[in-house]
Amino acid sequence: MRNSQPQSPVSSISERLSAPDSRASITQLFESMRPDLLRFAHWLARDRSLAEDIVQESLLRAWRSRDALKDPGAARAWLLTIVRREHARLYERKRLELVSLDEALEGQTAARAPEPDGDLFTLRNAIMRLPIEYREPLVLQTLGGFSTEEIARELALSSTAVLTRLFRARNKLRTICGMAPAPDVSASEAAP
Amino acid sequence: MNCEQARLQIGADPSAGTAELEDHLRDCAQCRQFREEMRTLDTNIRRALERPPGWVGSPRTTATWRPWALAASVLLAMLAVLSVWLLRPSDTLAREVVAHVQEEPESWLAQAHVDAQGISEALRGAGVSLDITSDRITYAQSCWFRGHYVPHLVVQTAQGPVTVMILRNQRVSGRRTFHEGGMSGVIVPAPQGSIAVLARGGADVGGVATQMQQDVHWLASAH
Repeated sequence: MRNSQPQSPVSSISERLSAPDSRASITQLFESMRPDLLRFAHWLARDRSLAEDIVQESLLRAWRSRDALKDPGAARAWLLTIVRREHARLYERKRLELVSLDEALEGQTAARAPEPDGDLFTLRNAIMRLPIEYREPLVLQTLGGFSTEEIARELALSSTAVLTRLFRARNKLRTICGMAPAPDVSASEAAP
Repeated sequence: MNCEQARLQIGADPSAGTAELEDHLRDCAQCRQFREEMRTLDTNIRRALERPPGWVGSPRTTATWRPWALAASVLLAMLAVLSVWLLRPSDTLAREVVAHVQEEPESWLAQAHVDAQGISEALRGAGVSLDITSDRITYAQSCWFRGHYVPHLVVQTAQGPVTVMILRNQRVSGRRTFHEGGMSGVIVPAPQGSIAVLARGGADVGGVATQMQQDVHWLASAH
């Protein structure tokens, strides 16, 4: 029976392997990104436990492919991309969108610390309720810092389609925040 | 650019701005208002995304990380509050600077450089001298602002025209960034006051402000 705290995937890896300097430094690098990755995965998966599984699997994949990371400065974007793809794989396998969001959010409410800001609480839940096709580019842009072109490449969409999705995501949130919705824009969703 | 194209661009990235968009916004009050609203919304979206619903830390980290995680959370919360404070449009000094610049819209359009005498007149009474070459200054006035005459300049930079107001009597405790009225800007502390630097749209003028801190020399007293 396991009675200790589960280890982070990166820690587990570093314990299994001998640790020359380069391995130690990449482990540290990955570990420093872990909170960001977990937050990112949580917004995509809409579930904390799933997010942790996604991040664990992503870090294992990243470790196996660490030679592909030539520039440590690009590590964050690289890891976020791996997390996004891992989420997409899981989503395809399990059709996670069929899980009731209301149930998921209610389950989280029980364990949640009090929310001091009602508006942010509303906005957080509104973002969670956005369909994945709107939520994903919004999170990639806002949390991940990806440009429109980078998002387009990652999602295999045209830049115009990404712009449209970002517009619609914010327009939906705008309505929820009590502002009048802007007239919708008509743009192609075609892949590049 | 028409309104639909402008809305698409603003809605997709409220902080971005292109010359084409700025041209459109100059003549379209509705789209200007839309951008202001979307920028406010985007600030809240960023704050919301920092913490997903039910986010209570990182349970899979080991216990030794908890104090650090707590300290980091507190630091992040303080930074978030500080950011909101710095970016909030209600900053009085920033608001008054923006209002003043909005009253002189022609200042952005000046093309010809101001001669040395014009610059000298704009600086008169402000107690400062400048290291900027006069061929970069396309607008220079001595303006009444908060009970004093202050230099109001437009300097041509790599980011386009940038307004600089040298505020001898307005002290600030630290660098303040703001976005208001379709402008982005920063107010930086200076030895005997502060310097406000503004650009239209979302251009980052932080570098220009830092340069201005070096280029403005404060004399012992205003005369």
